[in-house]
Amino acid sequence: MSASSIMEPTVVSRLQQLLGREATVADPAKLQEVAIDGCAPQAIALPSSAEEIAATLRVAGEQDWVVVPVGGGTRLHVGRAPERVDLALSLEKLNRILTYDPGDLTISVEAGMRIHSVQAECRQNRQLLPLDTSAGATIGGALASAENGPWRAGFGASRDFCIGVEFITGDGFCGRGGGRVVKNVAGYDLMKLMIGSFGSLGVIVSANFKLFPLPAQTLTCLCEFDSLATLIEFRDWLLRSPLSPMAAEVVNPPAVEYFSDAAPRDPDEWAPPTAVAENAPAWQLALQFAGSDRVLARCRQELGEAEHRTLRGEEEAAFWRGLRNFEQRVMSRHRNALIFQVQVPISETSSAIEAASAAATDYNFLAAVIGRVTTGTFVVAFLTLAIDPPAVTQFASAASAFRSRLSKAASAVVLRCPVEAKRHFDVWGSTPIDLELMRKIKRAMDAKNVLNRGRFMVE
Amino acid sequence: MFSFGVARKLRKIVGRDAVLDRPEDLMLYEYDGSLARGEPRYVIFPQTTEQVAEIVKLAGREALAIVPRGAGTGLSGGAIARTGGIILSFARMNKILEIDIPNLRATVQPGLVNLELSNALAPHGFYFAPDPSSQKACTIGGNVAENSGGPHTLANGVTVNHVTGLEVVLPSGRVVQLGSKAASAAGYDLTGFFVGSEGTLGIATAITVKITHLPEAVATLLAIYNDVQQAANTVVALTSEGITPTAIEMLDGWTLRAVEAAVHAGYPLDSAAVLLIELEGLREAVEEHAETVSELCRRCGAREVRRARDEAERQLLWKGRKTAFGAIGRISPSYYVQDGVIPRTRVPETLRKIEEVAKKYSLTIGNIFHAGDGNLHPLILFDARDPEQTQRTLDAGREILDFCIGVGGSITGEHGVGMEKQDLMCSLFSESEREVMKRLRECFNPDSLLNPQKILPSPRLCREAIAPNHASLEAPVASAPELR
Repeated sequence: MSASSIMEPTVVSRLQQLLGREATVADPAKLQEVAIDGCAPQAIALPSSAEEIAATLRVAGEQDWVVVPVGGGTRLHVGRAPERVDLALSLEKLNRILTYDPGDLTISVEAGMRIHSVQAECRQNRQLLPLDTSAGATIGGALASAENGPWRAGFGASRDFCIGVEFITGDGFCGRGGGRVVKNVAGYDLMKLMIGSFGSLGVIVSANFKLFPLPAQTLTCLCEFDSLATLIEFRDWLLRSPLSPMAAEVVNPPAVEYFSDAAPRDPDEWAPPTAVAENAPAWQLALQFAGSDRVLARCRQELGEAEHRTLRGEEEAAFWRGLRNFEQRVMSRHRNALIFQVQVPISETSSAIEAASAAATDYNFLAAVIGRVTTGTFVVAFLTLAIDPPAVTQFASAASAFRSRLSKAASAVVLRCPVEAKRHFDVWGSTPIDLELMRKIKRAMDAKNVLNRGRFMVE
Repeated sequence: MFSFGVARKLRKIVGRDAVLDRPEDLMLYEYDGSLARGEPRYVIFPQTTEQVAEIVKLAGREALAIVPRGAGTGLSGGAIARTGGIILSFARMNKILEIDIPNLRATVQPGLVNLELSNALAPHGFYFAPDPSSQKACTIGGNVAENSGGPHTLANGVTVNHVTGLEVVLPSGRVVQLGSKAASAAGYDLTGFFVGSEGTLGIATAITVKITHLPEAVATLLAIYNDVQQAANTVVALTSEGITPTAIEMLDGWTLRAVEAAVHAGYPLDSAAVLLIELEGLREAVEEHAETVSELCRRCGAREVRRARDEAERQLLWKGRKTAFGAIGRISPSYYVQDGVIPRTRVPETLRKIEEVAKKYSLTIGNIFHAGDGNLHPLILFDARDPEQTQRTLDAGREILDFCIGVGGSITGEHGVGMEKQDLMCSLFSESEREVMKRLRECFNPDSLLNPQKILPSPRLCREAIAPNHASLEAPVASAPELR
């Protein structure tokens, strides 16, 4: 009998005592849904307050449970494969807007609320929370995983507009940083610490944001280039131009075909409805602009001949939806894809994309790349070729070949990778942030290593 | 003598001319821009990161506190040697290490004066966006410590939004890298966490910042009001209409007259308040927004909206705003500047409250706000030589900040907590929340060797400052307050 099956009644019954029957899920099918790399928890807790989260974490510490906080479940696959998971702590009951002050352009939201619901609420007041993640992500999950999308170019990352956070540390203490006002330096900036910590320090309970006016109209200019070099040259011109696009995304030729809204039924049976790419598709740069007719006309005039096509309305929306859900679309066709979140200094954009293509080719993958050319933030998908699928160790070799071609300033975190391959290399890679300090912080916030044990970069 | 030995060791690290220990020299380092005072035993001027690391190690062995100091323009006592010890001045670490246009970054030493970076970037068509009013004097190291703002941070963000990498000397003497030229990195965002830590976590010795392209067009508007409430209402209207100027500054009638007497910026002497509004960006967008904003100001009751005709006029208007504190210094022996923040919808009632407080304590209070951010700088005039008046001033300041907390705001928007507002941290954060912050500080600075007795209040101070109904450590979450 395995250790986990011995524990089963304990976790479930302790949890039922603590939170009640209705807040404890033990249905095996539901547990499978939150399994991480094949590792399902014994139970799912559905706390409905910060106090209940704290109480759960304190018990977890006493009982040596391993706890995984769960938001929308869209980023659960990120991290090392855990040895065991005892409890999934779902934030789904914490899903309300706490305060929304449209006059002040600020909002306070519980962590389990879906981002698209918050955005729908803001839209009614012609306001925008520019947290543009993949579909289904929650506020807490998007912060914990520092997920960002194309709008990072125009509005900054969540670290730039998250103005307050409340969380429970791994040992059950209530922590809070910032507040509800847009400018605030009272106390340490705990928002920065929680953003990107992947639930390894605390469970985010709620967060406050500064909002932006919703642009009255936008348009997207698709520019095409015959090579990466000419695209980068154009990007450098753009950075010195007076234009300030809301989004500036590169799409490399192999990535173009993943933008279609039509989802395949079975990844192993997928075939495009029509032949893909008879002529080699070009390198695309998608620029989204907002403003009045005059402003938009000026933007297009500045782009001149570089603009190949203009997208508006539903066509524009579909394009960006495809881009935001790039990772999911790739996975729906290549269940064994190796996908990285890459961050480089902007001058290394071209060398990083070339490094990805070269490393992919060397190990029988094909690199599809999208990303923010003005901030150096990319999603790089190493696609497996059906004709000659890679061996398990090839993922590790490809990742290390790619990473070795990046500078020390860069990070390349693996977002997706078959679990069998994960055991052969570190999904986190290197970082230009001191590891010893990170370890100390982890121990200070979660001394018993209850949260996401075995999964994050430091323990 | 004991201290003689330390001075000699310090001189061995940095050279004979880089250590001060005579009382007449130390006196200059007893104060910063706040009302606080503290006597250091030594002031030292390192020139390299290695020297800083050596000094820190020596201080650890001798159990001497270290207080890093930029230009000493801080307004919350951050650079005061509260427990004596060593003031580590960055006056000689003031170089630009690299301007990297392709990466849109600059790397500088902490002692570099803020404005000098923008001046050096101007020929390339770039600038450093955070622009505290003291930017002619304050240093980028100080800006990092305090997470400084400035008028233009409304659209451009405060210091933390512009720092991507740091080289930091820890109290152990270890030199660590936090971040790089990349916009972010895998792992905890310790760069972001460090900014605004007021010298209590480590000593930044090299700072990598984002640089920003100079805008194509700028429009500077001066909206003139006969009633201060109308100006306040304009701020509310601008925010809720979704117009984001790069700056919205407000000066009340009393303040603008004091400024006008000092710098002749062109503010109308008979008005009750002015708003100084700046728009930046694409020529077409700036023109359109300037129209909309002018119209909105008039609708809210502005008697006149002027637009700076040229760069000289624009600079003059800004000179008035940026030298306002100095102008007040001409007419009052002392002044106490507050730094409260409120939701922007609350500007009108907060102004009324400040007026009430002025009456209640029989004090003159001038108002100068980063109105677009809801960041208030009420200036309380007093004579520091009169203890009774000083006490009244402190009480009035406290009442204003209590009001800010009451409406969901904060006690400091850009000046920092330092030693001035520690007791207010007790009402802003619960015991559990402060404990979490303390543990984090101890990860970096376990023995409080660096800038001791700043930001976080002692438990005793909190017991004295507030009623005993707060969260206790035994039951950390049972009484966790709502997110404010």
